[in-house]
Parts: sequence; C-alpha cells; structure tokens
Amino acid sequence: MREFRVYLKETATGRLVEASLFDDISDRHLGLWGDTWEGAMEAHCRGRKAGEQPEDHHWDWKVKAEAWRPVLGYHSFALVCDGGLQGLMWVCDFRSARIPAQFGKPLVYVEFLASAPWNRPEIQTPPRYRGVGTVMVGAAVELSRELGYRGRIGLHSLPRAEPFYREACQMTELGYDAADEGLMYYETTDKQADWFRRKR
Amino acid sequence: MEENEKKTMTLNLTPREMAVLEELAAKKDLSKTGVMKLALRLLQAVDARTQMGHKFLFENEKTKEKSEMILV
Repeated sequence: MREFRVYLKETATGRLVEASLFDDISDRHLGLWGDTWEGAMEAHCRGRKAGEQPEDHHWDWKVKAEAWRPVLGYHSFALVCDGGLQGLMWVCDFRSARIPAQFGKPLVYVEFLASAPWNRPEIQTPPRYRGVGTVMVGAAVELSRELGYRGRIGLHSLPRAEPFYREACQMTELGYDAADEGLMYYETTDKQADWFRRKR
Repeated sequence: MEENEKKTMTLNLTPREMAVLEELAAKKDLSKTGVMKLALRLLQAVDARTQMGHKFLFENEKTKEKSEMILV
C-alpha cells in the first residue's frame, strides 16, 4: 500500500490541510467507515423519505471489499485527514472507452466513490472538508496513467453528483445508460485528463 | 523476495499469436506487456464471477440476442 500527500480545504478556516491518500482500503479504513460514517449516515437518514436520503446511503463498503479484494483488476483508495476517514473509492481497470475517438481503449472505471457524511453540504452545514471528490478523481486519472491508459477514466454518476463531474471535472457526458440503472455516463479523454492534472 | 518485488517471465508466442498481440497493442494503445497484463486481469475477474455462479454473456446491441461465453 502506498501513501500520498494530498490537500483538502478545511471549510471552517479556509486553509488547505494535509491529508493522506492510500492506494488500498485497509481493514483499518473499513473499521473507520463502520465506526464513523455508518452512524452519521443513519442519523441523517432517520425520519427522511427515500427520495431525501443520500443516494449512496445503503452502500456497504465491507461487502464491497469482499468483492474487489481478490481481483487484480480492482483497485481501491482511502483518504484520511486528521485521523478521520474522508473518502473511499473503488475502481476497475479492465473496462473500455466509449467516446468514439478512443472507443475500445482501456480506461479506469470508477465503480464507487463516496465522501464522508460530514463533508457533504446536504448533511452538514458547513461541510468539514472540501475537495475529496477532486482528490479521488485525480487518483483515478493517475492510476490510469500508471497503467498506460493515458489518464482515461469513466464512470456512471449518481444524479446529484452530475454537476460535479460535468462542471468541476469537465468530463464528457455520453448520455443516460439504460444498462446501468439509467445513470449518466461520463468519460475523459487523455487531453481532458491532462487538463484535470494541470488544474489541480 | 519482498511482496512488492516483481518477478520476470519469458513468453514464447507463435507468429500468429504475436501478430494478434501486436494488433491488440496498437488498437488498445498499450504496450504488448500492457495487453498481456490487461488480459490476465480480465480473465481473473471473469473467472471470479463465473465461480460465483454468474454467466459471461455477449449481447447484440441491435437484436438484443444474447450468447454465452463459456470459459474453461
């Protein structure tokens, strides 16, 4: 497991604070998820109708880990700041691109990405840290480059995350995908990946 | 040898296999090594799912006809 120094914006102070990005979700990270995220998410969802709950509130990262850990082509990332788990991501490296100019070329596909409940403005005002999604997308782009895929990534977005991928990440929208729960599919080209790296 | 140290292997291919490998490398914009590593990861992932009882299917996008890919 490798550890990388990254930075998040601490909303209360406006300062950039140092965080650690790990290229593996360990048992320690899963423990933090169970001990901190689950309770916060349950508390937020209590009394709320289904449509008002976070779209990923039901994600069980321990169950997901059982699926991805045995498989080489799956990679996971954990983001820790100030001893707390701030973000998790699971990606796959054997899916292929759909943008016509790069059709069929391999890319890193983001299977699941989540920020801690206290980092979400719809759960906590103000959110504790900003930039988790950007760090994670950046990690997927870097993995794509390491694998020789030139930064190409793809993902299906939960509806409320669409503005982030479209506007902050400048990813290409390829339409709602009936084969994947009707979610909007996004993808980057290598040029878009270069832009994202420079922007960060 | 430490867990993260890489091991080297030599792979002998027939001319036809090498031609396919080179074609895939060009098509996928990968090195030949990259193609072999991708193939390994893909095969393992498919094998893991079939061991769980899932089927590996192809679907014709136009006709929606499905056919099963049987792996040994």
